[in-house]
Amino acid sequence: MNIYPGEFNELRRKASELMSDTADVSSLLRSRLGDQHELTRAAEQMTASIETLARELRSFDSSAEPTLTDTYQNPY
Amino acid sequence: MYIPEADFEYLIRTLSDARSRATELAVSIGSRLGTEHRLTELANTAASNIEITLRDIRNAAAEKTESGIGLKDLQQALQTGTQPVAPVQVTSSPLPATSFAAAAGLDAEHWLSTFVDALLAQAHTAGGITFEGTERLLQQRKDEFLRDFLTARRMYRTYPRLFPELADPNRQTF
Repeated sequence: MNIYPGEFNELRRKASELMSDTADVSSLLRSRLGDQHELTRAAEQMTASIETLARELRSFDSSAEPTLTDTYQNPY
Repeated sequence: MYIPEADFEYLIRTLSDARSRATELAVSIGSRLGTEHRLTELANTAASNIEITLRDIRNAAAEKTESGIGLKDLQQALQTGTQPVAPVQVTSSPLPATSFAAAAGLDAEHWLSTFVDALLAQAHTAGGITFEGTERLLQQRKDEFLRDFLTARRMYRTYPRLFPELADPNRQTF
């Protein structure tokens, strides 16, 4: 794989922005419709998948940086 | 269940934007790591979940709109003692003596004419004209135009002989 750290930092930033920009969707639906409504559950599933993507991207980016301290254990 | 119209608009706008960005992100990751990579799959899952949520919210908004129109029509029918009109039949509302289409020199079936007529009809309702209602009406016109355009294109491609006036090779096709 030919990946430049700068490129991946940009992807990581975009994923983090996506996560923060959609964070209030599930909370808004929960406040309007309650925890059990199907729309709320769909939104929470969406939020969880975006969070997972952002977290994994952060981890992947950290593992691609050899100069960083080894506070993170590379899962790959 | 109650979600204000402004909330629906906010949610749809936010999720439409998020869907585009997530799809772009998935393509970027896939182009760097390959389509089989776990990160690409996670990005595709996120984009898919955004799409599902957006679709569900659009459906809920559409259901709310339809039920709102039905109630309004029923109220009008009770007041006038007539049968309810079809929800999309905007021409049944009182129109100005001089139509917008005639004044603007537009064909009566032009989308702008229909939009303005619907907007003026909305002004006569109890709720009056609102930004949300105006945006919804415009979106309806856009959706209707796109549907008609796609239908016309399918018909032209399927039955080109029915459109001899478009058979000129120098003419730009749909």
